[in-house]
Amino acid sequence: MTCAEHPASIQHVFTQIKFIMYHRYSIIRSIPLIVGIFMFLFIAPSAFSQTESVTIQGKVVDGTALPMAGVSVKVKNTTLTTTTDAQGHFQLRVPNKGAVLQFSYIGFASQEVVVGDKTVISLVLHSDDRSLNEIMVVGYGSQKKETVTGSISQIKGADLVKSPQPNLSNSLAGRFSGVVINNRGGEPGYDKSDITVRGLATTGSNSVLVVVDGIPGQVGGLERLDPNDIESVSVLKDASAAIYGNRAANGVILVTTKRGKTGKPTVNYSFNQGYTSPTRLPKMADAATYAQIMNEINYDANAAGGLNQAYTADQIQKFANGSDPLLYPNTDWIATVLKKVTTQSQHSLSVTGGNEDVKYFVSLGALNQNGLYKNGATTYKQYNFRSNIDANISKRLKIGLSLSGREEDRKYPITSADDIFRSLYRAKPIIAAYYPNGLPTRGLENNNPAVQVTDLGGINNNPTQVVNAILKGSYQIPGIEGLSADGFFSVDKSNTFSKAFNKPYLLYAYDPNTGLYNSNIVGGNNNKATLTESQKRESLITSNVKLNFVRRFGLHDINAFVGYEQSKNNLEYFDAQRFNYLSTQLPELSQGGMSATDYLNSGYSSNYTRRSIISRLAYTYNEKYLFEGQLRRDGSSIFAPGHQYGTFPSVSAGWRISKENWFKDAAGFFDDLKLRASYGSLGNDNVKGFQFYDNYTLVGNGFVALNPQVSGATNTIQPGVGLTKLANPNITWEVAKKLDIGINAVFLKDFSLEAIYFQQKRSSILTQRNASLPGSSGIVNPYDDGTEKYNPLVPSENIGKVNSAGFEGTLSYNHRGAEFNWGVSGNFTYAKSKVVFIDEAAGTLSYQRKTGRALNTYLLYNAIGLFRTQAELDAYPHVPGAKVGDLKYEDYNGDGVLNADDMTRTKYGNTPQITYGFNFNASYKNFDISLLFSGQAQVSQYVLPEAGSVGNFYSSWADNRFSQSNPNGTYPRVTERASNAISGGAYKNTFWLNNAAFLRLKNVELGYNLKGDFLSKIKLSGIRLYASAFNLFTITKVKDYDPEGSSESGQFYPQQRIINIGANVKF
Amino acid sequence: MKYNHKLSVLILFAGALALGSCKKDFLDTKATDRIPASTLQTDTAVFEAFVVNEYIGARLQNKEADGSNPGFGRGFEYSMWCSVSDESIYNNDDDTWLVQRGQLAPENLGALGVIWGRSYRSIRECNYALSVLANISMSAAHKSLLEGEIKFIRAFRYLDLIRNYGRVVLMGDKVYNLTDNLQDPFLFKRVSIKEGIDYAVAQFDQAAAKLPLDNSSNWELGRATKGAALALKSRLVLYAASPLYNSGTWQAAVDAAQQVIALNKYGIFQGGYGNLFLTNQTNEAIFERLYTKNANHVHLEIANGPNGYGGWAGNTPSQNLVDVYQMTNGLPANSSNPLYNPATPYANRDPRFAATVLYNGASYRERNVETFIPGGKDSKDGSDNWNTTKTGYYLKKFMNDAYPLQNPWGNAGFQPWIYIRYAEILLNFAEAANEAYGPDAVPSGASYTARQAVNMIRARQGVNMPAIASGISQADMRTAIRLERQVELAFEEHRFYDVRRWKIADVTENLPMRGMIITKNTDGTFTYTPKIALDGRKFETKHYWLPIPRAEILASNNQLEQNPGY
Repeated sequence: MTCAEHPASIQHVFTQIKFIMYHRYSIIRSIPLIVGIFMFLFIAPSAFSQTESVTIQGKVVDGTALPMAGVSVKVKNTTLTTTTDAQGHFQLRVPNKGAVLQFSYIGFASQEVVVGDKTVISLVLHSDDRSLNEIMVVGYGSQKKETVTGSISQIKGADLVKSPQPNLSNSLAGRFSGVVINNRGGEPGYDKSDITVRGLATTGSNSVLVVVDGIPGQVGGLERLDPNDIESVSVLKDASAAIYGNRAANGVILVTTKRGKTGKPTVNYSFNQGYTSPTRLPKMADAATYAQIMNEINYDANAAGGLNQAYTADQIQKFANGSDPLLYPNTDWIATVLKKVTTQSQHSLSVTGGNEDVKYFVSLGALNQNGLYKNGATTYKQYNFRSNIDANISKRLKIGLSLSGREEDRKYPITSADDIFRSLYRAKPIIAAYYPNGLPTRGLENNNPAVQVTDLGGINNNPTQVVNAILKGSYQIPGIEGLSADGFFSVDKSNTFSKAFNKPYLLYAYDPNTGLYNSNIVGGNNNKATLTESQKRESLITSNVKLNFVRRFGLHDINAFVGYEQSKNNLEYFDAQRFNYLSTQLPELSQGGMSATDYLNSGYSSNYTRRSIISRLAYTYNEKYLFEGQLRRDGSSIFAPGHQYGTFPSVSAGWRISKENWFKDAAGFFDDLKLRASYGSLGNDNVKGFQFYDNYTLVGNGFVALNPQVSGATNTIQPGVGLTKLANPNITWEVAKKLDIGINAVFLKDFSLEAIYFQQKRSSILTQRNASLPGSSGIVNPYDDGTEKYNPLVPSENIGKVNSAGFEGTLSYNHRGAEFNWGVSGNFTYAKSKVVFIDEAAGTLSYQRKTGRALNTYLLYNAIGLFRTQAELDAYPHVPGAKVGDLKYEDYNGDGVLNADDMTRTKYGNTPQITYGFNFNASYKNFDISLLFSGQAQVSQYVLPEAGSVGNFYSSWADNRFSQSNPNGTYPRVTERASNAISGGAYKNTFWLNNAAFLRLKNVELGYNLKGDFLSKIKLSGIRLYASAFNLFTITKVKDYDPEGSSESGQFYPQQRIINIGANVKF
Repeated sequence: MKYNHKLSVLILFAGALALGSCKKDFLDTKATDRIPASTLQTDTAVFEAFVVNEYIGARLQNKEADGSNPGFGRGFEYSMWCSVSDESIYNNDDDTWLVQRGQLAPENLGALGVIWGRSYRSIRECNYALSVLANISMSAAHKSLLEGEIKFIRAFRYLDLIRNYGRVVLMGDKVYNLTDNLQDPFLFKRVSIKEGIDYAVAQFDQAAAKLPLDNSSNWELGRATKGAALALKSRLVLYAASPLYNSGTWQAAVDAAQQVIALNKYGIFQGGYGNLFLTNQTNEAIFERLYTKNANHVHLEIANGPNGYGGWAGNTPSQNLVDVYQMTNGLPANSSNPLYNPATPYANRDPRFAATVLYNGASYRERNVETFIPGGKDSKDGSDNWNTTKTGYYLKKFMNDAYPLQNPWGNAGFQPWIYIRYAEILLNFAEAANEAYGPDAVPSGASYTARQAVNMIRARQGVNMPAIASGISQADMRTAIRLERQVELAFEEHRFYDVRRWKIADVTENLPMRGMIITKNTDGTFTYTPKIALDGRKFETKHYWLPIPRAEILASNNQLEQNPGY
C-alpha cells in the first residue's frame, strides 16, 4: 500500500497531526495516535508533489488578532493542504481561481474562501464551542467527538476559570447533563461538592472515580487542582467508563492538565480578588421572644406553675427594650460572630511554549481564603505548581514528565466548624457574647461561639502537601506499521499534618448579688494546655504498560491496545498527645507534663493493591460505522484470594447517518447526526478491606481492673479484644450493567443536540445486612454515628440490587456574527433509582419498604396540620401525650391508632432526581458575558433545628409557633427539646421536610478585553478585565438554610456567595 | 537510530522494573491493625482479652458511652435509669419523659431500647468464647476460671433481659452466624419467666462453682468472683419470688441470699455512706465496674451539678423521693414527728438524705446550694437558668468533690459503678425472710432475722438510724424493707424494677412527679411550696414489662411475640 493510493487516509492523518501539533483546546495523551501519525510523517510530503499555477499567501488570526499557528488550509475537494506557521502565515498553490480554500482549526469555526483573483487571503477565525472536530478525552486516550460512541461530557478549563470558586468541584455544577453536584458546606478548605453521575445508583458508595492525567484515583483528588491548570474535564457516564473497570461503576471524571505548545513562550498571569458571604443564614429569635418561649416550655412541663415560670412580663419587657444590657441583653449571635463579607484572592502564573522536540507548560498558583468569623482563626492558603514537559527523544521515542505539587494550609480554631455553628444556632439571645465591660460571657454552657472562632483557645494547624509525579513514554515499534508501546509510572504522595494546641482561656459570669465577674477556665485539659499532633502519609504508586496498534486500511480504521496496570495504595497514620503543659507558650510535644498519663498516642496503617489487564478494540468504517469493545480484568486486594478478580466488558456502536448519501439528500439541514448505543459491565470495590475474615481489634478504653494485692495500686485499663467485623469470605465485586442509547445532532449549522436514554442495573451491591438480623442472633451492629469511622459488625455482602434509569439532554445554539456572537445552551437530567433488593426486616409493612422505591427516601409520619383545640385532638387518633398545639399526624392505615405503622416513605431523598442548567454566552466587540444557572428539583431535605431550652429557635418557628396567645400559629408548640418532642424528633415527620428544589445563578462573568496597538508597545499580547460571581442569587422555597445542605440539624458552615474581580495579562 | 533502539530498550526495561512487583502475591496484603480468629483461637492472652472485653457491651445508641462503652444495665450515663422511675427526672428530657409519661412504645423506647440487642450480642460472643475455650491449650485450672467468668457474664446478660422483658429467648450455647437461617423459629421462641430464670440461676451456680472467692494479682478486682455470681443469683431468685414474676419461692430467695452471707467475705462499709460510691475497693462492693483516665464514664459532676456551679442539672431527685427519708428518730418526716419543722424540712433527716440529695442550703463545694427564689444562684434566677432543676434538688450521690465540676473533660468520671453490694444482699435476705418467716425468725441455716439484717444497714457508721424495733408486724416489716430499699439503694437502678416486681408501679408511677418551690422571704426564712415538676406521669399495666423493639418484631416477621398491651 502506498499513500498515493489512499489520499483519504493521508488527509485523515493530517487532521490528526493538526490535533497533536497545534490544537489549543485538547491534549493528546493517546500515544497510539501519535505513533500512527509519525508513521505517516515520512511519506506525507509525497502528497504535495502535484503543483498548479496560483500561489496564495495569507495570515490567519484569532478573535483577539493574535496569529494562529497550525491552522489547516485545504483546497476543497483536493488533497492539497498546508498549515500556518508560528506567525500565522501560510502559502499554498491552488489549481485554479475557482478553488475554494477551507480553513479549519480545532475549537474554531471552519471557514471557506473562494480564491478568485486574490493572491493574499487573510482572515479571522472565531472560536466555536460546538465544533465537530473537538477532541474528547476518553479513558486511556482521546477521540474525535464525532466518532465517540459513549456518553461523555467535556468542559474546557477556559470555562472553569470563569467561576471564582477556588474549589474545582464547585465549578462543575450545572455545566453537564448527567452529573449531579451538590455543595454541602462552605468552610474554607472543606468546601467541596458531592458529585454523583446520574444520581444515586447504589446503596453502597456512590463516589465517582477521579482520573487525573491518566492516574486512576490520583492522591489529592480533583477539588484542589488549580482551575488555571486544567485543559479539560471529561465525565464518562455510561459503559465507556468500563475501561476503568474496577472502580468505574459510579462514573469516571477525567481531568487533563495543560501541556506545552510549540511557539515562543507565552506568559499568562491572572489575579482574582473575591468577596465572599454566606448564601443564606437562618434568622433567629430575639431575646424577648426566646424568654417568652422559655415560659411556654416550663408551662409544658408543669401547667399548674402558670405562664411565667421562667420570666416575668417585666423581665421580658427588659429583654425587649434593651434597658439593661448587663442582665437583660438581646444578642444577635450571628451578627456578633460572623462577618457580612470576607475575602479571598487567587494568583496564577503560567508559561508555555516549546519547539518541535521539547514543549513545556509550567505554572504557579496561590490561593488565600479567609473564614467568615469575626476575629476568626480560620484561613485556607494554597500554593501549587505544575510542570508538564514533553520531549521527543527520537522520532520513535517520546517521553513526558508531569510534576505537580501543592501545599494546602488549613488553619482552624480548636472548635470545629460544625461545633461552632452548633453553638451559634443554639446560643441564646438572652445571653450576651460580651458583657458591656468587654469580658466574654460563658455563652451556652461555656460554649461562646464569639470566642470559639478566635485563636484564644488555640489553633489547629493543618498543612497538607501533595506531590504527583508522572513519567510517560511511548515508543513506535519498528517493523510493524502502527504498532507502538507506551507506559507510565506515577508516584503520588500526600502528607497531612495536624498540630492542635488546645489552650485554656477564661470566660466570665456576672454575679448580680456581688457585682463580680467570676471567671472560669474553659478549654485545654485539666485547665492546662494540651497538644495533639498527627501525621497521615498516603502514597499511590501506579504503573502501566500498553501495546497499541493504530492503523488505517483504506476506509477501515483500527485502534486497539492491550495493557497492564497495577497500583498500590499505602496509608500510614499516627498521632501523639501530651497533656498538662506548664505554659501555654510551649506548643511542642517535648514540653508537656511528665507523668505517665500525660502521654497518649495511636496509629494505624493500611495497604491496598490492585492489578488489571486492560484492552480495547475500536473499529470505524469511513467514520460512518463506529464500533468499540473494551475488556478489562481486575484484581483487588480488598477481596479474598479466589474472589479478587472481576471481568468487565463493554461494547458500543455508532452510526453517523449524516454520512449516508441518502440522508444528506433527504435531510440536508442536519450537519451531523449520530445514533449510538453502549452496553457494558463495570465494577465497584469501594468498601473497607479485610472483611473476608473475622476481625478482632484491640479496645483502648474498655475493661478496667485493679490489683487488690498491691497497696496503692490504681485502676488500670486491661488489654481488651473486641469482635469488630464478622467475616464474609465470599465478598467480591459490585457490578453495574449500563445501557445507554443516545443521539447527537448538529443541525442548521448552529444548533446542536444530544439526547440520551440510560439505564443501569446494579447488582451484587456491597452493603450490610442490618434490618433483617434478629437481635437474639447476637449479630448486632453498633451505633452508627454517621462518621467515616463507623464500622458495622456485619460485613459488606454482595446482596443489593438497584435499577436506575433516566434521560438527559443538551440543546445549544450558537450565533456567530462579525462583532456580536452569542450562544445559549441548556441541559436537563432526570435520573430515578428503584431499589430491587435491599436488606429489610421480613415483617416490614409494604408501604414502608425501601424495596421498589427510590434510594435514600425518608420514613416519616405525615404531618397534616396542628391540633388547635382539645376537640380536634380528641376527635383524631394521636400519639400518646399529644397536646393541643402539637402536629397532627395522619392515621395512614386508618386503624384508629397512631403508631409507627402510620409512617410512610417520602417520594424523594436529598439527592435530586432532576437537575438542570442553562448557559448563556455573548460577546460584542471587546465585551463578553457568560451566565450559568443551575437548578434541581424532586428533592427533599429534612431539617429539625436543635431548639428548645437546649438552643434558640429559627424566627420562622418562633414567630409562628402555636401558643395560647397564638392559636393560629403555623408551627407546633415549643417544648424542652425539639429532638425529643412529639412534634419533633420523637415522631420524625414531614413538617420538617423541605422541598429543596432551587434555581440559582451559579456563575456569571462579565469581561472586557483591551485591544489596540498600545498593547504591543508595552509588549503585552492581551489584557482582560472581568468581574464574576458565584451563587449570586437563588430561587427556592427553603427559608432558613441553603437548599444544597445535607445536615439534618441545619448546623453547618454555610455555602458561599462570591463576588470577584480579576485581571488577566498575557505577554 | 541504533542509539535510540538502545535507549528504548533501556526504557522498556525500566518500565518492567517499575512493574517489578509484578509478582504473584501482589494482591496479598496484610492488615496490621486487626487480629484474625485463628490468633484468638490459639493465643491465650488474646483469648482472655476477648473474654474480659465481654464485661463491656456494644454502644447501640446516641447519648450513651461517653468515654467508654456501657457494661450491664445502664450505669453512669447522661440520663440514668433512675430518671425513668419516681426517683428523679432528667432535666433535659433525652427521651426519658416519654417513659415517665407512659408513651413507651415498641417504636419509641428512648434510652430503654438497647437492652435486647446489647445483651444478645454479648451472649453470642460468650457462646463463641465457650466454643473456643473448649479447644484452646491452657491449664485446666485457668480454663475453669474462664469458663466460670464467661458463664457469669452470660447469666448477667440474661438477668438484664429477664428483668426488662420477662420472657426471653434462650440461646443455649448456640452461636449464630450470618450464613445460618436467621428466620429460624428458635431465635424467636420466648420461654416462660420461670424457664428463663432457672436457666440463668443454673448458670450463676455453675459460674460460682468455678470462680475464685477473692480477687488477686491473677484475678484482678473488676472480674467476677464466686460472691458476684451468688449475689446476682440472689437478686434473680428474689425477683422470681416476687408477685410480678411469681416463678419462685421466698425460701429459695432466703437461701440464695444466705449463700452470699455465708461466704463471710462481705460486710457493711463503715467509711461513710457517701464514700462508699467513691471508693474503688470496699468490703461491701461485691461486683463493680471500675473506671480510669481514658476509660471514664460521664463526667457526673457537671452533668448533674447545679446551674450556679456551671452544672447541667441532669438527674434531679424528686420530692417523691425526698419525702421518703425518715427523721433521725426513725419516724416519717411529717408534721406528727416532733423533729420535723416545715420551715427547715431538711434538718434532722436520715443522713443518707444529705449524702444522696443536694438541697437548698446544703454545703456543696465552695458554698451552700441556693435553689431558692428570688435570686438563688442555683435557681432559675441564677446563670444558665435553662439548666436549673425542675424539682428543687440536685443529685449528690456519686458526686466526687475532688473532681473538677467545670471544664472536667477527661479528668472526671472515674467513680466505680457498683453492680451489686452487700447491703442489697441483706435487703434481699430481709425481704425474703420476712415473707417466708416474718420479721423475727431466723431461717434455718441463716444467722439473722429479717429485722436484724435491715438494722445492720441502718447501723452503718455515719448513718446510725435507729433500729427497727422488734414486734413489728410482717406487713409493717414489708413496708419498712421497701422503704429501706428505696433509701439505701436510691439511684442504683433498683427502684424501677422494685416497684414493678412488687406490682405497686400502677400506684407509684401514676403519682405526679413533684418538686418544691423554695421562696426566700425578706426575713431570711424560706417558704416551701409544692409543685408539679413534670406533668402527665402515666403508668399502664402493659408498662410492667418493656416492649420489645419494633425492629425486632419486624425482623422476625412477627414470629417474636410482643409483650402484652403493646
